[in-house]
Amino acid sequence: MTTPLLKLSGLGIRFGGLVAVDAVDLTVAPSTITCIIGPNGAGKSTLFNLITGIYRPTSGTVALQGDEITGLPAHKIAMRGIARTFQSSRLFEDLSILDNVIIGMHGRTRTGVLTALLRPAKSRRELEACAAEAETILRGISDELFARRYQPAGILPQADRRRLEIARALASHPRLILLDEPSSGMDDRDTAALMADIRRVMADNPGLSFLIIEHDMRLVAELPDNVVVIDYGKKIAEGDFATVRQLPRVQQAYLGQKAVEHA
Amino acid sequence: MSTTLTNIQSRAALPASLIVAATEIGGAILLGAFLLAESTPLVVALLAVMGALFAALQLRPQIEEVIVAAFHDARGLATVLAVAIVLIYPFFLGGNTYALHLLIVSLLYSVLALALNFQLGSANIPNFATGATYGIGAYTSALLAIHFGWTFWATLPAAAIVATVFGFLLGIPSMRTRDSYLALVTIAFGIVIHQMLNNLSWTGGPNGLVGIPAPSLLGHSFMRPIELFGFRLPSQANFYYLSAALLGLAILSAKRLHESRVGLAWNAIRADELAAKCQGINVVWYKILAFGVDAFLAAFAGTIYAFYISYISPDNFTFLVSVTIMTMVIVGGMDNTLGVILGAFLLTMLPEKLRVFSDYRLLFVSVVVILFLILRPKGLFPQRQRHYGGH
Repeated sequence: MTTPLLKLSGLGIRFGGLVAVDAVDLTVAPSTITCIIGPNGAGKSTLFNLITGIYRPTSGTVALQGDEITGLPAHKIAMRGIARTFQSSRLFEDLSILDNVIIGMHGRTRTGVLTALLRPAKSRRELEACAAEAETILRGISDELFARRYQPAGILPQADRRRLEIARALASHPRLILLDEPSSGMDDRDTAALMADIRRVMADNPGLSFLIIEHDMRLVAELPDNVVVIDYGKKIAEGDFATVRQLPRVQQAYLGQKAVEHA
Repeated sequence: MSTTLTNIQSRAALPASLIVAATEIGGAILLGAFLLAESTPLVVALLAVMGALFAALQLRPQIEEVIVAAFHDARGLATVLAVAIVLIYPFFLGGNTYALHLLIVSLLYSVLALALNFQLGSANIPNFATGATYGIGAYTSALLAIHFGWTFWATLPAAAIVATVFGFLLGIPSMRTRDSYLALVTIAFGIVIHQMLNNLSWTGGPNGLVGIPAPSLLGHSFMRPIELFGFRLPSQANFYYLSAALLGLAILSAKRLHESRVGLAWNAIRADELAAKCQGINVVWYKILAFGVDAFLAAFAGTIYAFYISYISPDNFTFLVSVTIMTMVIVGGMDNTLGVILGAFLLTMLPEKLRVFSDYRLLFVSVVVILFLILRPKGLFPQRQRHYGGH
């Protein structure tokens, strides 16, 4: 068997007496899409924060392509090839759309203070190359974003903010992209475009995988290879959507004990 | 749409070189008039003219766009003309040493404000200790010159290195805090440095250090007037050129860092620290780096100040100095080099020019600053977006 792209073993974190994520095991294979679903407050975003190094896990391990990355600082994990978006999109609001994407390439570029001061030509060349690549990425995601690339990111509407976050994530050439509720604030057409974007990006980048937290069941039904259900910090089910949705435990988690009995 | 249209029309109407020349010469004349203005009504009238200009910029943003575009199109001319104006400027002050002194102090404060801008403007680090690093630079070079006979030119890099070490020393504990708490740590650092300068015996205590020898270059002592083509410039002109050269260096550094990956990383941290981390930016390192760069430049300014005045005391480097530098950055415009320099000039010269109000002087300075901020809420010249590919 090939090494999985991402492997979580017994991953957990407790905040005082509260166990927010409890011994989660999860494997993501290369070139796949995994969706994480679960009720609000189940610990999905906390799980993302554990994987990306924003929180330090209190138990368990995270391994990327067989290398353990548990507890590394967030910027090192980003450099290893895990990019992410946030539930409430976090763009660099006062910077231009283009700069947002260029900053996504930080981990791949090298210029330091001394190079910038003493070898400005080299520093400028690097940034110009980044700008050219960022323009290509933006054009691939949306012509609209490309046309507005010199405007500040803060003025974008919700759907475009999500797209720009994905463009920024792509700019780092990641192996795994974590999307936290990408379709929130999108209408049906935007969601369909988002799914098309994700498929196209996967086709363009062999080996790239997505781990997506999602509430929109149309997306969960259509897109992923694998669905993971989380409730009260624990993984309660895993499999394809058609199977998972039939499981009583899952229905219970979403609808409550009584509703399942009445059904 | 109408903006673009006016843009094209006015650009077609006036060639870039003319706009550049008019702006630079106009600015220099306005500055000169302000420097030489003796009577209060004239000072107030000049401030009103400046206010009107900024009001015009605020109401008609196209004007600023046209000027910025012109400066971009005629970069070479803009640089050459600016250097020329700086070089010949003292000749137009008619040997007015007070005006020259004001210019030197303004230039040094511009350097300090640009130094702080790396932190406050680029990375949103509220550092209230720029006055302290400025003092560390001044004291280091003064001590080396007085006790060890080092020349000015040798103390420059030494002071910068010592201050940078202190900058890093301040930066490292500061990283455990942020926002208001970070501000408190830097305030404490500033006060500790001030108290140490005040109480240690080898820094001269409250009396400070006296008799810092004047620098010399190629046998020309900076105490002596400059005599050139039959013209005679007062001895202050030496320090004017020195400070102007330092400001040139600071502007160049600011431009190069701003237009590099480093400047982008600082801006990312300013906008959203958590998101910056997730792009692979080592936030702690970049913040400490900003402390180092700030201290490095501030120490240069401190060294020139010490050798210029030839006497320094702890009172030159108080908390109030740090606050003044911070105000310069905020009033001028965060992360905009020209804005920061303008803020520094304005806040250095205003208190001097409003001396007629004696005890109420600072009140009037504040009123003027508030009026300018009402006219231009984001600072005199706010931050601008970067452009790539010869745009």
